Amino acid sequence: MEEEYEILENTVKDFNAKYVENNSLKFENESMGKEFVKLLADQGFFSMMGQSGEEVADVKTLSVVLENLAKSVPAVAVKTLLANSFLSLVKDPEVTEAVANGSKSGTVTFSDLLVGPGQNGSLLLSDGKIKGEKQFVVGSDSDFIVTLLDTGELVLLKSGFTAGKKLKRLGFRSIGFSAVSVNSSDYEVLSKEGRKELEKLYYQLSIPVAAISLGMSEAVSQKGLDYAKVRTAFGHYLKDFQPLAFELTSLIAEMEILKRYFEVLISTSPSRKEAMFLKHKALALAKDISKTSLQIHGGYGYLEDFGIEKFYRDSMALSVLFHNEEHEMEVLSTLVFETKAGFV
Amino acid sequence: MDFELSDDIKEAVVRAKEFANKYFTEEVAEKSDFNEEFPTDIVAISKKEKVLDFSNPWKVLVTIEELVRRDPGLGISVTISAFGAEIFMFFGNDAQKEKYMNPVFAGKRTLGLGVTEAGGGSDVAGIKCEARLDGDSYVLNGGKMFISNGQIADHFLVLARTSPPPSPEKKHKGLSVFVVDSKSPGFAINKLHGKLGVRATNTAELIFDNVRVPKEDMVGEEGKGFYYIMTFFNISRIYVAAQGLGIAHGALDRLIEYSKKYAPVSETGELNENLQLAIAEIATRVEATRNITYKAASYLFKFTPNPIVTSMAKFYAAETAVFATKRAIELMSLHGLTSDLERFFRDAKILDIWEGTTEVEKLIITRMMLKEGGA
Repeated sequence: MEEEYEILENTVKDFNAKYVENNSLKFENESMGKEFVKLLADQGFFSMMGQSGEEVADVKTLSVVLENLAKSVPAVAVKTLLANSFLSLVKDPEVTEAVANGSKSGTVTFSDLLVGPGQNGSLLLSDGKIKGEKQFVVGSDSDFIVTLLDTGELVLLKSGFTAGKKLKRLGFRSIGFSAVSVNSSDYEVLSKEGRKELEKLYYQLSIPVAAISLGMSEAVSQKGLDYAKVRTAFGHYLKDFQPLAFELTSLIAEMEILKRYFEVLISTSPSRKEAMFLKHKALALAKDISKTSLQIHGGYGYLEDFGIEKFYRDSMALSVLFHNEEHEMEVLSTLVFETKAGFV
Repeated sequence: MDFELSDDIKEAVVRAKEFANKYFTEEVAEKSDFNEEFPTDIVAISKKEKVLDFSNPWKVLVTIEELVRRDPGLGISVTISAFGAEIFMFFGNDAQKEKYMNPVFAGKRTLGLGVTEAGGGSDVAGIKCEARLDGDSYVLNGGKMFISNGQIADHFLVLARTSPPPSPEKKHKGLSVFVVDSKSPGFAINKLHGKLGVRATNTAELIFDNVRVPKEDMVGEEGKGFYYIMTFFNISRIYVAAQGLGIAHGALDRLIEYSKKYAPVSETGELNENLQLAIAEIATRVEATRNITYKAASYLFKFTPNPIVTSMAKFYAAETAVFATKRAIELMSLHGLTSDLERFFRDAKILDIWEGTTEVEKLIITRMMLKEGGA
């Protein structure tokens, strides 16, 4: 890893130790609070990506930050990802400054790309007002929302919307997740080709999402390793038992390979296919490794105090909130076959 | 060989379905899950309506399956009031059956089983809880962990060491089972909070600080407790397999419903093949789980339990429940994540752990096969 990334990694580690780890249950399950969000912003974590209009977004430093934030509380990494996504699309200086400094929050409705037509609600512009409802909004408690209209424009909603009843939340429980009702004349059209713009950002986030998965995998596998070294059963340490040791070792081997691939990708200019390869494998790994680590911890892994079960929930939530298996495999298959593939 | 259920068992399935439809509303399930709240009212109604017919174990099995298929947390809460009662049935004396077992089967009392300890987990023989004879009673000291019905049981069957093991290899000897009244002086309960799933069920830590248990409340013979508990696990694991079956089937129900309503279709007008194959795989695993669970049950209910098939059923059902809920959420995307399926996903994982971890079940299978030459 390049020196600048190592410095960044250490900065995030210090930040985690100082502000996150002692509050992990609160940040995971309740709220991060304005003060902490401001701290995140003060580190510059919310504005690391640049504008998506740029040909190649700078997802490298962001990815290193997200990987390390996710090790303590994955919800903090997701909060950071949302802020960066928002700021990469919005240019209004008042709005961007407020989100970048943490005094306001912004989100982007990626759900527009994750479910089929008509399943994500409907937003229409009529007589100077945007009206309707948008489903599945991660960060629905935000001050600003970037979303798609039915007619294809990408818009920034500055006010005139309210979050509905909270949806069931498998993971990232401190981040708002609900439908949003809109009746707003306070908006800005960001792009006429909104879906294209949103898709562009979505694929740019492949490496950052993979980074969160890898950070979760590292943290939860370390917990598994640590516990297996001290916990005994039947007169042996858990690490001594072949099934457990072999399974965790095999998953860690996979993780180390992916980490090396991650490091290669962030020090070059990866293709969309490479970035999607990484995301595809990293999301699956985080789920597998969380499951194994929970199993190693037995009943204790099932309790939130041990900090394992959140990775089990969050890894699954991440793979649904920022990923759609069938849709992405169709895209990836087409890239691999170099012709349309995997659509029947 | 007949794979058809008899009419009275089919009736039990219908009854369970009707009960779940009436009382396991999403509002109740969500509230119990969110607040980690035992569904006292529903359990009371289930007892009054005798939803669990203990006169026929097949009815109990299919009732568990159907209730859990609707909601795992509520379904398990309703069906574990008599947890451990088979120990009385097989090893208790008439007075104990009358005093402790019958009221439980009649729905008037709740039972709990205290085996697992903080440092023990799967290593049952390694427990540290001790019972020392003092006059006409035993004095219990130690603790138990992850105990179902912990705060609501009237009595607990507790495994404790009554004599030192004859050798380190024979730790399973010298253990005995006692009935402990939850109101006994020196007995304390700490509810466990923050579980990943089955949050409607009541789980607690039990603490025994010089708890006196009358001699007559020892179940069976002194020193044979390990054998009694293992016998019980060969029964309860079949019911855990039914829980797994219910969860997996519940996930399949939801995936099929999604497929009809929301799933994308390909250019040929059919469901995408990836989804079709996933449904087929989950459905096949559910069917395989049902067959192996019912096979294990048929051995047990004829009083010829087959621990190999029982362990196969338990581990396979647990893995199927975890697999089915995971795949269903992945395929249903945001529709799965925001439905009750997310609860099924959280609930399923405990089946890999309680009543013997999946790893322990696999070891039982192989060791017994090597010893006995096959299933």
